[in-house]
Amino acid sequence: MDYSIPTINLSVIGPEIIILLTAVSVLIIGLFPNYRRWSISIVFIGIIFAFYDIYYLWNLNQVGFDGMVLADNFALLFDIIFLIGTLLTLLLSGNFINQYIRGTGEYLSLILFATLGMMLMASTNDLIVIFLGLETLSISLYILAAFRRSREDSLEAGLKYFLLGAFTTGFLLYGIALIYGSTGTTNIYSILNFLKDGSVEIGILFYIGMILIIVGFGFKAAFVPFHMWVPDVYEGSATPVTAFMSAGVKAASFAVFLRLFITGFSPIISQITGILAVLAILTMTVGNVIAIVQTNIKRMLAYSSIAHAGYILVALTALSRNIESEFSAASIMYYILVYTFMNIGAFGVVIYMEKSEEEVLKISDYAGLGFKKPFAAICMTLFMFSLAGIPPTAGFMGKLYIFSSAVESELYGLAVIGVLNAVIAVYYYLRVVIFMYMKEAVLDFSYLSARPVMALSLSISVGGIIYLGIFPQSLINLLTNIL
Amino acid sequence: MEFILFYIFGFIAVVSALLIILQKNPIYSAVFLILTLFSVAILFLLLNAQFVAAVQVLVYAGAIMTLFLFAIMLLNIKYEEKAFSKLANLKITGIFVTFVLFIEFMYMIFLRKGLGIAGNISPEKVAEVGNVELIGKILFTKYLFPFEVASLVLLVAMVGVIVLAKKKF
Amino acid sequence: MTYLWLIPVFTLIGVVLNGLLGKKFGDKFVSWVGPGAVGLSFLISCIFLFKLVFDSPTGDSYIQKLFVWIAAGNLVVEAGLILDHLSVVMIMVVTGVGFVIHVYSVGYMHKDPGYARYFTYLNLFIFSMLILVMADSFLLMFVGWEGVGLCSYLLIGFWYEDKKNADAGKKAFIVNRIGDFGFLIGLFFIFIEFASLDFESVFSMASSRQIGDPVIVAITLLLFIGAVGKSAQIPLYVWLPDAMQGPTPVSALIHAATMVTAGVYMIVRCHVLYLLAPLTMSIVAVVGVVTAVYSASIGTVQNDIKRVLAYSTISQIGYMFLAVGVGAFTAGMFHLMTHAFFKGLLFLGAGSVIHSLSGEMDMRFMGGLKKYIPITFWTFLIAVLAITGIPGFSGFFSKDEILWNAFDKGNPILWVIGVFTAGLTAFYMFRLFYLTFLGESRFQSEKELHIHESPKIMTIPLIILGFFSLFGGYIGVSHSLGGENHFKKFMEPVFRNSEIIANSTSNAENSLGLEYLLMIISIIIVLIVLIIVHQIYLKRPDIASTLAKRFSLAYRVLLNKYYIDEIYHTFIVNPFIKISDIFWKIFDVKIVDGAVNGTANVIQSAGDKLRKVQTGYVQEYALSLILGAVIIIGYFIFR
Repeated sequence: MDYSIPTINLSVIGPEIIILLTAVSVLIIGLFPNYRRWSISIVFIGIIFAFYDIYYLWNLNQVGFDGMVLADNFALLFDIIFLIGTLLTLLLSGNFINQYIRGTGEYLSLILFATLGMMLMASTNDLIVIFLGLETLSISLYILAAFRRSREDSLEAGLKYFLLGAFTTGFLLYGIALIYGSTGTTNIYSILNFLKDGSVEIGILFYIGMILIIVGFGFKAAFVPFHMWVPDVYEGSATPVTAFMSAGVKAASFAVFLRLFITGFSPIISQITGILAVLAILTMTVGNVIAIVQTNIKRMLAYSSIAHAGYILVALTALSRNIESEFSAASIMYYILVYTFMNIGAFGVVIYMEKSEEEVLKISDYAGLGFKKPFAAICMTLFMFSLAGIPPTAGFMGKLYIFSSAVESELYGLAVIGVLNAVIAVYYYLRVVIFMYMKEAVLDFSYLSARPVMALSLSISVGGIIYLGIFPQSLINLLTNIL
Repeated sequence: MEFILFYIFGFIAVVSALLIILQKNPIYSAVFLILTLFSVAILFLLLNAQFVAAVQVLVYAGAIMTLFLFAIMLLNIKYEEKAFSKLANLKITGIFVTFVLFIEFMYMIFLRKGLGIAGNISPEKVAEVGNVELIGKILFTKYLFPFEVASLVLLVAMVGVIVLAKKKF
Repeated sequence: MTYLWLIPVFTLIGVVLNGLLGKKFGDKFVSWVGPGAVGLSFLISCIFLFKLVFDSPTGDSYIQKLFVWIAAGNLVVEAGLILDHLSVVMIMVVTGVGFVIHVYSVGYMHKDPGYARYFTYLNLFIFSMLILVMADSFLLMFVGWEGVGLCSYLLIGFWYEDKKNADAGKKAFIVNRIGDFGFLIGLFFIFIEFASLDFESVFSMASSRQIGDPVIVAITLLLFIGAVGKSAQIPLYVWLPDAMQGPTPVSALIHAATMVTAGVYMIVRCHVLYLLAPLTMSIVAVVGVVTAVYSASIGTVQNDIKRVLAYSTISQIGYMFLAVGVGAFTAGMFHLMTHAFFKGLLFLGAGSVIHSLSGEMDMRFMGGLKKYIPITFWTFLIAVLAITGIPGFSGFFSKDEILWNAFDKGNPILWVIGVFTAGLTAFYMFRLFYLTFLGESRFQSEKELHIHESPKIMTIPLIILGFFSLFGGYIGVSHSLGGENHFKKFMEPVFRNSEIIANSTSNAENSLGLEYLLMIISIIIVLIVLIIVHQIYLKRPDIASTLAKRFSLAYRVLLNKYYIDEIYHTFIVNPFIKISDIFWKIFDVKIVDGAVNGTANVIQSAGDKLRKVQTGYVQEYALSLILGAVIIIGYFIFR
């Protein structure tokens, strides 16, 4: 047996390298108090370069490191989604940075490391790298969740997330080990070849391995019954971190699901349609029903994010039933992008509303916002409408695509339950709007000052959901051709 | 011979793992953890993975466990009876569920076929090239990329520790 | 016809200008932009109407595709606008009546702090409504459908300071969502069955189906659920009476003239599907006629002037559903149009009354207003005569056509109930009229000082609508009355392809003489009711209370609207809240500490609780995780 050094093609991991360098340089520059104020600019420059590199790599379909790293359009698309999430989060973090961090680079670099982890997960072809990417992401998030060390709820959030995350990592690793044990490889394409080959019987070990992987990522994407950590962690973390977590982790997990389902597991994936359908129903229903009784807006959004994982899971179920369906895959990617915009946007308004010491987090605190701060209220209204799936926002198109894909795969019951859930969900999203426009203000909003950077982030999100809601076609075309 | 050793050390590993969670004194738990890690190291040896066995002992039983013991002693953790008494029901449910999981895995392993395929690195091969060389070669050729990414994980963990531990921002 | 998009776009510009600049440039700017935008849309609609009448003798429809909206998988939807003889009627009603009501609002909402906001919403409503009626696909129609619901909800809760108003808005939205749920499921069924959501292709594919095809029946029923919600029919009508909390011009425009008739329009638009589903058609007719009589009966005892009109609206829409349910689509659309005129007028007149009495809405404290507000009085009288179906007024022609069709194409029983409803309608309308304008003044004397006729900007719209309420019916005088029935001729191209089916149910042996007889019966009933009301409310006001006492049970039931709100609350709303509460308790409360107060509560309480948070709960989370994994694996092994 002979081993040779693989062709090292660094341009394949160009965006990842750029983000890594940015993260490290932010860490270093934090050591020099005189130059600290430049760190945020460096981050933005880094992200812009990464975008440019993605643009450069687009359609080139490069492969590197013995086929372990891919820079296909699928990976690049998810890179774009992650970077958009990161960018929007960082634009929203200004206040948080001033208050807690005072210029040192840890917060920024941890956010970037987490992004890097996500990018690795999306752009690899090997279960081991997926695992390592997930660990990079998770460790960064454990720390970010506990970042406000002076607050007990933040520490509690970090610790809970860490313990449960470590626990599920066990499931995930065991799953990967079982798959390696039964196929002799961790490479997704080799797994596909093994399954297609058919000369060796596909044993129960392989199936169990697959299920354990689904459990592992189901935890990250917050499927019921693996969702318990979500409300506590979302509530305890600083709101910019929550915003980042809610969008990014889900996107990364679904990127892995898509990669595994469409390539690696595709010959046998239809066997787990039933399980996925049950998970989807549970996830949507539990998320939505519990969200109704919440009074804290972060908890409400936490449960709503569980419900949204359920919607995406509906499309994933449809995909597993009909793996050739490009439409189902496209609807997942479309929804994830839209979700990134609308959820970070909604959290953005929450961040804007927060008071420094006692946080303004009750839904009833939003009473009367509509007339005191019309811009923030209009943004929030649009985000709520989009989350609820009311046209002409992108949330409506996303749900339409998802439920249509379920219908296309002949999962009528699932589609009906999904629509029913969307109807239930309107209730609690609407409550926020009602408070903003139809209740007398209880708080004096004079502490809110104009924040141009935050407004920029909100405007981008609003623009995103409106544009994608009215002209979804070009994006959907792109997404259906991506696979 | 191998099988007998496997069962002996496998048994020790499982029993001591159980004892970790059944002990009330955290120091005892830690000691049983060391025992578990040792027996797992021996299981690695039986699989012709001498290097991994050595690393297991060095890193886990050596470095990490020492750290654990230090932490326990510094924080002066005593008994945790109080915390557990409130969760008696949970304990029973937990044991039951875990037992079901165990049965499921047993069933999967013993009653169903399709136990994987053999890899291309046989014990003879290992003996011929040498264990450390083989791992080294694979790590720096085929698994070069994951190896580098692993260093990234360590970097992130380090930054995290500093964030959580430093006195003020 | 390539400029079709101009019709809605002006109102959208109005939304943007009023929404963004309205507060800055003041009320005068808003007063010009708001009505002006709708006025321009109306002018352009008129041009298109003439083009359609003169350029298109064959009655072709024009479809302008704007852009490809969705094309993924099997689903291809283009966003396009349609102009045909059906949609143009709706466009004219929406922009025409809409414009008049906008002008009226300038006077009515004068000095309201939310003036700019009001016109923003109102323009947005016209825009959404135009999208609804001009859509060339189910999907775009649904977008408009949701849009009008949203505006209606925003405008009901316009004076949000009062909790009642906000609650009413919420109620409207939620009840509508139930209907929308049906509509959306219907969309999915259409998509499964025809792989398209485009009107043209769906209808052309559907027309080759068998009559009574179960899939078509299911689709039409689901769409009808949507219509029931939007058009406030039994059992989803409960939101409309509460919707009267909004400003009165809004009630006139949205909750009487346009939005609530969207359900009727939708069924007429989908007549190809409905004609294939006789079962659905009969359900539509029955729901329509039952709603008509039911809400008319409630209307007879209400004391709030706007509530009477609200129940009257529900009842009149019931008539329209009756018409379309028996296959008389033209009659339904005709009544929709005349109803828009006279009901709009009734609401605006009521608004004028309320305005002059400084906000009084209870009819028991009105009376004798004739001499104070003469213009309102005379226009209101025209509207009352129109709605009660006095010959010569617009309502007579349209209602008569519906009743005749109910008899002819449907069932005599439908006719009997319809005529009975006409009698009830006459009762509550004349009662309202007498209580408000005639007899003794019953308002407190201090208010008397302020009573004044409304300014010109409000009375001129009344006169315009009065004109149409009087003469609007003459475009559709039926053959039996010696007319040409231009309206029916105008609408004919729309139903060209389904004529055979539509006419097959007509009983040919029913003669002209019978038609006259039925007509005379209904007129006589109305006149008798008029005399009764005259006796009770003008000559001997004590009779009313005596009657109420004698039939106290019936009176109470009617006054409380058959207790439907209470029933809904007990059997639907409360159990749902309970169920979600139980769900919550099972899943989370035990685990996530009495989550009402959130984790914060735990942290605030004593120190030993901290330990509980850190050790106790995570294990339960982990347990639920393992449990999930065990169940899934177990399922997989033992399946």
